[in-house]
Amino acid sequence: MDSGRPRRRLWHVEGARTLRSVRGATIIAAFAVGIGLLIMLFGEPYQVRLAVAAYINLILVLGLQIFMGNANVANLAHPGFMGLGAYLTSIFAVPLVIKKTLIPNAPFGLGEVQLGVVSSFVAAVSITGIIAALTGLVLVRLSGIAATILTLAILVIIHGVFVHWVDLFRGTQAFYGIPKVAGIETMMIATALVILVARLFKDSRIGVQLRASATNMLAAEAMGVNIRALRLIAWVLGGVVCGIAGALYAYYLGTVNARAFYFHAAFLTLAMHILGGMRSVTGAVVGVALISVAMELIRHLESGPVILGAQLPDLFGLGSLMLGVIIVLVMCLRSDGLMGGLELDEVLDRHWKRWRRGG
Amino acid sequence: MLEVDNVSVNYGAVRAVHSVSLSVDEGEIVTLLGPNGAGKTSMLSAIIGLVPVAEGTVTFEGQNINRLDTESRVARGITVTPEGRHVFANLTVEENLILGAAIRRDADGVARDLETYLDMFPILRERFKQSGGSLSGGEQQMLAVVRALMSGPKLLMLDEPSLGLAPQIVDQIFKLISGLRDHGLTLLVVEQNAQEALKFADRAYILSSGNLEFAGTAEELRTSADLMKAYIGEGVS
Repeated sequence: MDSGRPRRRLWHVEGARTLRSVRGATIIAAFAVGIGLLIMLFGEPYQVRLAVAAYINLILVLGLQIFMGNANVANLAHPGFMGLGAYLTSIFAVPLVIKKTLIPNAPFGLGEVQLGVVSSFVAAVSITGIIAALTGLVLVRLSGIAATILTLAILVIIHGVFVHWVDLFRGTQAFYGIPKVAGIETMMIATALVILVARLFKDSRIGVQLRASATNMLAAEAMGVNIRALRLIAWVLGGVVCGIAGALYAYYLGTVNARAFYFHAAFLTLAMHILGGMRSVTGAVVGVALISVAMELIRHLESGPVILGAQLPDLFGLGSLMLGVIIVLVMCLRSDGLMGGLELDEVLDRHWKRWRRGG
Repeated sequence: MLEVDNVSVNYGAVRAVHSVSLSVDEGEIVTLLGPNGAGKTSMLSAIIGLVPVAEGTVTFEGQNINRLDTESRVARGITVTPEGRHVFANLTVEENLILGAAIRRDADGVARDLETYLDMFPILRERFKQSGGSLSGGEQQMLAVVRALMSGPKLLMLDEPSLGLAPQIVDQIFKLISGLRDHGLTLLVVEQNAQEALKFADRAYILSSGNLEFAGTAEELRTSADLMKAYIGEGVS
């Protein structure tokens, strides 16, 4: 009888929205993976390596976007969670023989444990998620500048633990011997999946409520939005995604060093996030792609190349300078980033509509 | 339905509302009038739980809700559309409406309500995928009201629904508001535009500097030039 109608309407609201998110994510992922495929087919080996680095950065930026883009709280802790993912994966996955020389005094009997590639990944990412949840419980009690300063403190604390807990993390010495099982294909698949997760989260009811609270906290609260709970969910999900970036990093390079998970990574990915546009998943892809290419060009300039017969001087430090300049310029000229909060599918739909109306 | 008994509200060291009592019965439209800074918004914030009640009690449907958080109060059936541009400009009309149903768990009911309201306000269906910020002032106010309705409230509180709107739009908004009563809603409307509010309200309260200055029927206030002059001021005539 009539009972069929509400069900259809429910589908109309929730189902259609989900489908739209999946469609959007597919378009964005196709764009992100397409670039990698072209590089795989036509690029030099060093360009493939750059692409892998870019994909790892992209996953990290997406982890950043899930929390920062939706809750609009600046976050600097994300490389810390990436580091946790990388180190924990290494600790679980390194063969026992190597581990005995790396960390002979490993606590919790970890020196006797070796897990498979997948189990190590799952264990590492889960523990990262738990640590994110514990830090998140404190974080969601704060807002604005206090929250951002806390994320900075979290980064410093995690780094401090890596450097000083020598028995577990080897301090400033590199952790090596991790099975190198991830190539560019793994990165592309993981990136596509994470893009899907980020987009579904953004369009979900939780994402909508978070974005509302980011624009007007009081109005959102007046509607009964539980901001703390939603921020905690976003924080943990973002932390898990950063952990995934770290685990993939370890499985690609085979070696892990605490330096890679500190300020440089924080600012590099923050610049990517800001340039592309924080409120958009597409923005993460655009920002990572542009800055990855720019940094590579700058690297050539830094070493003083010969261009059109003229020997240019060495310009060490140009890369860091450019990152700063990019952040300043975007903040001044287009604080919403290149994508301005829009997604690729929305931009395409708009052009398609205009084109049809015109033709 | 709503009983506010000797409630005081503080903002830090400043007392914004001094021991005010008011009540709203089921099916009524009650308006809370007064100049800027009279404590009207503070009163609404205290009722919805955005600021704590310093003294006194707020009772809803016979139960003391002083200690409930905002989420639980919304779940019990109190909703407010806050003052100013209430619409989330970055979210689409659709997302704004879904947001209104933030506390609801009955997806079927949400979908059904959404359809009902989109039928009632076809302009929102037309603008469904557009950002809230692209709507005109009147449309935004309409969206804010419908968004509040999406939580399925029993008591709807509106904070200055006429603010910044052209006179003929104000008329439309107030017609919409009084139409809501026919759908079984109870309304508490905060206004500076006393003339418009009194056309539709059953009863009125006047706040001034955090004190209750008048309580009575809208009729009384409307027909007495002296009262109007004394409490609302010369600006409105």
